[in-house]
Amino acid sequence: MCLAIPMKIIAIDGFNARCEAKGVERDVSLFIMQHEAVEIGDFVMVHVGYAIQKMTPQEARSTWELFDQMLGGVDTP
Amino acid sequence: MSLTARQWLEHIRALDLPEKVRIMNVCGGHERAITTAGLRGVLPANIELIPGPGCPVCVCPEEDIYQAMQLALHEDIILVAFGDMLRVPVNLPKRAIRSLEQARATGADIRPIASPMEAMRIAHDNPERPVVFFAAGFETTTAPVAAMLAEGVPDNLSVLLSGRLTWPAVAMLLASEDAGFQALIAPGHVSAVMGPEEWEFVVRDYHIPTAVAGFTPQSLLAALYSTLRQACEGRRFLDNCYPEVVHAGGNRTAQRCLAETLDVVDANWRGVGVIPASGFALKPHLAAHNTRELFPSYEDPARKHRGEMPAGCGCSRVVLGKIYPNECKLYGLACTPRSPVGPCMVSDEGACRIWWAGGVRERKTSEVA
Ligand code: SF4
Repeated sequence: MCLAIPMKIIAIDGFNARCEAKGVERDVSLFIMQHEAVEIGDFVMVHVGYAIQKMTPQEARSTWELFDQMLGGVDTP
Repeated sequence: MSLTARQWLEHIRALDLPEKVRIMNVCGGHERAITTAGLRGVLPANIELIPGPGCPVCVCPEEDIYQAMQLALHEDIILVAFGDMLRVPVNLPKRAIRSLEQARATGADIRPIASPMEAMRIAHDNPERPVVFFAAGFETTTAPVAAMLAEGVPDNLSVLLSGRLTWPAVAMLLASEDAGFQALIAPGHVSAVMGPEEWEFVVRDYHIPTAVAGFTPQSLLAALYSTLRQACEGRRFLDNCYPEVVHAGGNRTAQRCLAETLDVVDANWRGVGVIPASGFALKPHLAAHNTRELFPSYEDPARKHRGEMPAGCGCSRVVLGKIYPNECKLYGLACTPRSPVGPCMVSDEGACRIWWAGGVRERKTSEVA
């Protein structure tokens, strides 16, 4: 439940965004991003369906790599 | 921050380390990343990484789970809860219905959800039935619940809130004078929401090196290096090793939502006791959405073992970093993810579950106080 995932915004309708990560799409709330300008193409860190912070594409990618490792089993740095 | 994990490791190995340093983390995500990446195996032996109070499911009061279960069994409601909560057993005799999952199997309308938005949707789709959202979680989860309440929820949706703040548990440990750690890795996403400044007291009041970390091995190793170097050089400051997501001041909108909808109150932590100003409760103007106000209490103060940890379960000591998961005498024997005894083996954030999933099979006899 505490796992936060970086996702890319592909559509925005008010406070609702359609986001994508590695081929999976989800509805994400932008309600707590009101203090920032958020646009289609931006990457956001998503926790329990809510975007909590913006991030760069590079940062999103390195986090996804980590998830691949975690899902793929044990790995040594 | 552009160093690789291997380079950070070399930097750490090059330090003139004290004989023993115990570094606590307070986030299940950190513990999982540390275990999955096998960091304990590659760090110098005098560095101990201790999982602390980082699992909201583990500290959720047993009474609250009991209450949620009784509501689902006795009232004509739909109960929604984060999936982790469904398998946590309450302290009832073996033959009784002991978890939300078992209650569900007997016909109670209990639905696992992954987001407050799903609670909203279920309430919208079932306007004729009360929907109760049993919401346990730390700040990163409670802020979205607050956002949901601030945005406005359907009349038939109420919240049974078991939200907790992370830092007061660390403050309590430090005030105990038996904290048992010399450095702290502060939680990344809690800091992203609440602001890293929340952790300044650890440095200021207790002179303990502290660094906010993200969830990659690089970020975690950078934070470990930062605290170890501080310890070696006698310097103390709050470092931010997750600057890409953690910004000064945190997420202002999230904090505004929390302030508008919830009060900070004294709260009970399972196995730990009441910690001052460590929990969230719905503000009085939201009484119509507060499950605790709307429904009769099924709480039975005389219930045997109410609020306790299951017999033999060491979760309360695991949560406080007093023992490692595999020092519990039930670890891997009576207690496995298939048939968990305590919440630390149920939740994805629980240290016992994480260690078991990470392949730790041998049990350990205590060396930690
Ligand atoms: S191994 Fe099981 S019984 Fe022991 S502390 Fe962990 S959850 Fe509790």
